[in-house]
Amino acid sequence: MFDAPHSHVLSCIAGLARHNPDKVALVEGNQRITRGQLVTNIEIAASFLTSIGLKPGDRILLSARKELEFVYLYFAAQLLGIVNVVVDPTSPQDRLDYILRTTNPVAVIGLNLLTGNHRCIQFDDVNVNHSNWGDSIYTWPKVNADDVADIMFTTGTTGAPKGVCLSHANLSGSASNINGFIGNREEDIEALGLPLSHSFGLGRLRCVMMAGGTMVLVGNFANLKAFFTILEQEHVTGFGMVPAVWQYIKRLSGTRIAKFSNQLRYIEVGSAALPIEDKRLLMELFPNTRLCIHYGLTEASRALFSELHLNAKNLESIGKPVSSHVEVCILDENGEPVPDGTDGELCVCGNMVMKSYLLPDDNADAFYDRWFRTGDWGHRDSNGYFYLTGRKKELINVGGEKVSPATIEAAIISLGVPDCACIAIPDPNGVLGEVPKAFLQRYDNPLTIDEIRQHLAHLLLSNEIPVQYEWVDVIPRSSSGKIQRLKLKR
Amino acid sequence: MENKVKAIIARVLNVDPVVITDGLCSGDIPEWDSVGNLAIISTLEQELEIEFPLEDLFDLTSVQSIVDEVNQLMHV
Repeated sequence: MFDAPHSHVLSCIAGLARHNPDKVALVEGNQRITRGQLVTNIEIAASFLTSIGLKPGDRILLSARKELEFVYLYFAAQLLGIVNVVVDPTSPQDRLDYILRTTNPVAVIGLNLLTGNHRCIQFDDVNVNHSNWGDSIYTWPKVNADDVADIMFTTGTTGAPKGVCLSHANLSGSASNINGFIGNREEDIEALGLPLSHSFGLGRLRCVMMAGGTMVLVGNFANLKAFFTILEQEHVTGFGMVPAVWQYIKRLSGTRIAKFSNQLRYIEVGSAALPIEDKRLLMELFPNTRLCIHYGLTEASRALFSELHLNAKNLESIGKPVSSHVEVCILDENGEPVPDGTDGELCVCGNMVMKSYLLPDDNADAFYDRWFRTGDWGHRDSNGYFYLTGRKKELINVGGEKVSPATIEAAIISLGVPDCACIAIPDPNGVLGEVPKAFLQRYDNPLTIDEIRQHLAHLLLSNEIPVQYEWVDVIPRSSSGKIQRLKLKR
Repeated sequence: MENKVKAIIARVLNVDPVVITDGLCSGDIPEWDSVGNLAIISTLEQELEIEFPLEDLFDLTSVQSIVDEVNQLMHV
């Protein structure tokens, strides 16, 4: 069985398998994978990656399909010191092309990306039940905890995605922080409806595997009836969701989920702000469940946490640092600390804060010394609770997915609209939190709004397509040409 | 009406219409996530000028169930 001193997550997976190999670690459909099988299959996947010539430090672009093979390959790559570039398989082609160009992977797994020098592999090629990839590996390569384990791409303010380089120490530190706060343990059975292409969902997988719990892979939350059946049949004790999913659950099922109140030990919510009335409703429906609300970014995963029942008098707060390994402070525009109660930029340092962005240009303003700059504004009160008051970065948070106005504006201008600007507005349906609104500069013989919407469906992700449109004579810009979005919000 | 409903679902999810079979359920494909499901519901309501009863939304989990519900609401 492997040993992985560079990764506490992998060490825990191996150690737990030695201790109790027959306990179920993963469930997908009718398949139940024990801890022992998980370790064996990770080793088989590692043999496969080695057999195709991959070496420590190489990068693989891995499609985040919610399948068992993804889990084996993901951990196998980390075991070998191969860097995972985890991508959403439904991403638009130009985003995938950009990620391909900037990461230059040796292999692409689970996606058909044909341009480049990489090798293309399908998940079916990595079938652990039909492995014949040569001898097992008995000597594992030496990997350092500070080596990059994953590169995750987030939305950049300019529109180009940013590659976030996370080390093995970052990922293990984050999982330890989260498990310590939520109190994850071996008895937990979690349903994973979140996507694995995002920090939240992938983090949940690492947390549960590290704690020795059971993870039930669920497609997504769309089919609530199926999700509720899984909660019941698998005796699920916890799950994670974004606020938009909570709005969805309320809209489609009312308060039916409360019937699981006595079996759900924890619910983690994050990636976007949860309205205070929803916090109160959750507390009412789940009086005995740990309701753990996090604040964080891919670059600084789950920096702050608030458990609602324990912080009932501070529901407006985004909480306190997740563990003693994480510090959060408020700095002014010169990177100097401000007094409690004064607004400034939330900055984070700790064991889970990324090593760096992939591209040097993206690192220019990313840190004040050791403090990662989140781009969010807020303050701390005298009791150490943090509060958000605004956002410096001009991103639109659509149901937990960060959308860049620049991406939408470029797509609209490509249709022949002379100028445009996008801002965040509250979702008129009250589900997604924020949605984009586009202001379009008038011109002769314009496309209709319906035509623009139809064209954008081919250029943008569905959550990037503006919900509202408004024609204006001119887009307000500063003397330097920067869009003055505040004027459009009035 | 069945073909029209399927065409709307395919357009909203931005997938090839051949993917939209009777037995396809929400969550079966990545494009049909919770946001996609809400978009299907609201687009069908707008374009067909119908309103799904709230108590029925929980059970609209497949293409077939959506087609049946639309047929019932439009008295087809």
